[in-house]
Formats: sequence, structure tokens, C-alpha cells
Amino acid sequence: MYSELTAAGHDDFVIISAAQDSQGEAAAGKLFDKANVTYHCIVDATHKISTLFGWVNVPSAAWIDEEGRIVRSNEGVYAGEHTIKMGVASMSFGGTAFADATRDWVQKGADSEFVWSAEELREHLKPVSDDTLLADPTFKLGVHFVNDGDGERAQRHFADAQRLSPDNWNYHRQGWTHKSGGHALRMWSKKTKAMRENEPEKAYYDPMGLPGEDVKQSSQVEWIWTTLWRKLRGS
Amino acid sequence: MLVLANDESTTVDSLPDAGPDLWVRTDQLPEATGWELKPEGACLDELCVPLLGDEKTEWVQEHRGAQWLKYSALADKVGQKYVHDDDVWSLGTVPHARHSTLGSGFAPDFEVTDRDGRAIRLSDLRGKKVLLVTWASW
Repeated sequence: MYSELTAAGHDDFVIISAAQDSQGEAAAGKLFDKANVTYHCIVDATHKISTLFGWVNVPSAAWIDEEGRIVRSNEGVYAGEHTIKMGVASMSFGGTAFADATRDWVQKGADSEFVWSAEELREHLKPVSDDTLLADPTFKLGVHFVNDGDGERAQRHFADAQRLSPDNWNYHRQGWTHKSGGHALRMWSKKTKAMRENEPEKAYYDPMGLPGEDVKQSSQVEWIWTTLWRKLRGS
Repeated sequence: MLVLANDESTTVDSLPDAGPDLWVRTDQLPEATGWELKPEGACLDELCVPLLGDEKTEWVQEHRGAQWLKYSALADKVGQKYVHDDDVWSLGTVPHARHSTLGSGFAPDFEVTDRDGRAIRLSDLRGKKVLLVTWASW
């Protein structure tokens, strides 16, 4: 999308892609290299961008206009449809709804029908409690101890951050990656199952409200994973 | 003592018998926290918090030939959360940086270095349309 739009003369369009990866370059570097893109790629080990923009899941994105205003902010913003293959099984997720809308915004600017007003942005902001705010330095303490080689202390702080901000998938999923043996996948299945059973009104990704969006699919992501996980375990 | 703030970790002196509070030497304050003690108060970029009444005498004290600020009291006042594990203190995002901007519709400013070593400050990209995306390898 970036090369297509800049080649079409939209050289006022900038992409900043921020990997939320506590293991830094070691985790995100090879994926950036593989993508081989020309826009700004940053490795954000402490998830500072997510904290600043109030995002609790990946992928998330904001459109920031020429005056520095946020004119849209969504989660579940895949660039297209993706397929993950695991042995004989595979799963698909994502779609082009957000990329199509972004293209429209780059071409039409403030006249794009997908641009939010300041009021619409406020309506979409997630409430921030004292606990949510405390989860931020707590998570960062976990990242510090991971990189300091003290996994046990790190896990303690990750667990605290997860307890303080239970709806923050980033804190959960990132914390789980620091235990091996399929721990992250197991924990994800467990948490999504609990969410379906106890809070069925919640979606894994907040709907974007865009045409062509497969809202059902975004809440199905964890279903597919659970099915896949059962299959792998042979149960 | 180590202070984690703004994506940096800074080793600073610690004040013996500081109790549950975080005291930071005022000459080490800017590097460790981004805040600076000025005649008008404690300042972070354009934000200045005046020290009122007893705050000036209780929060700013001379010990061992140096001036120290009771940083945890300042953080409490501005609503910045912090947590520590022994001598490692982790400071959260200053709410002012996040809320006032998000509430007004303006993107919070940040400065990062990309993988090519280029420094990017969001506010330097005025006049452009910016798509900011997060993702993760996990």
C-alpha cells in the first residue's frame, strides 16, 4: 500500500510501524527484514506507543492528520488476509477493510468518509483507571528483568500488570512469551475461552466500523485457535 | 539505584533511610526522569508544577552536600504511577502527556529511533499524513 500510494504521488504519506516486542530486535528484526519495506520501522520493547495511544491489542493503528490530530484509531487492523499454516491445519484472519479505508483517507484527506471527528475519537477512547495506569510501569519493570536475565522476577511483574489491566492483551500475550513449551498458546486459549464463557459480549478486537469488515471473523480468531489447539493435543 | 523512565534506565545515587519514598538528586533528575527543578517549580517540557506551601521545604532537601527531590511526592501530585522492586524504580507515563492530548484529539508526541538509525519525532511530521501501526512477533 505504501509503495503504491507514494508512487501515485502521495509523498505526504508516512508510515511508522512499531513492533511491540520486549525482546527487541532479536524478536522483531527478522520479520522487519523479511518485509523489506522502506517506511519507518521501530522496535518498541516497552510498548510505549501502545501505552500512549491507549491500545491493548495488536495490530492497532491511528491515522494522524497534517495538523497532528488523531482522525481514526482502531484495533485488529490487518493489512490483508493472512493464513497461518501449522502442519496440516491452517487458519485465516484479517481482511482488507482497514487498508482500503486508509487508501481512501490518503487520497481524500479530511473528505474521507472514514475520518473521525474529535467527538468520535473521545467516544472510542477506552476508560483509564488507576490500575490501568499502574500496569504500565509494572509491565516495564517486567521487561527490565527479562532483559536483565531474571525471568522469575520478570514473571512476577508481568503477572501483576496482567492482574491490574485484565483486558490488555498485549501485557498478557507478551508476558506469556517469556515462558517456553507452548505456554503462550495454552494461556491464550484459556483466556479467550474464559472470555467467551464469562463475557460473551466482548470481542477480541473492537469492531472497526468499516465497510467490508468481517466482525464475526475478528471474534472467531480465538475460536479457530482453540480448535486448532485441541487438534494438536489430540483431544 | 536504577530508574526506568522514558525507555531509558539511569543509575542514580540513592538516599539512605529514604523509607518508602523515591528521592532523586536534583542534578540527576533531568537525565533520570525528564523533570527539572526550576524557580517556577518542577518542570517537564512545557508543563511546570509549582511547589506550594510546605511542598518546597518537604520535597526539596539538602542531604550529604547535595540537593534532593522527593520524586514520589511529585509523581503522586501529577498522577504518574511508579513501582519498584528493591532498588529498581519504574516510572509510568506522565498522564499529562497522554490524556490531555488524546482528549483534545491531538496525538501524543513521541520520539523514537527507527531501525535505520533515523530519529523520528511525531511533531516533526506536521504537514504529512501519518499511519502509525503496532504489531508484534508473538
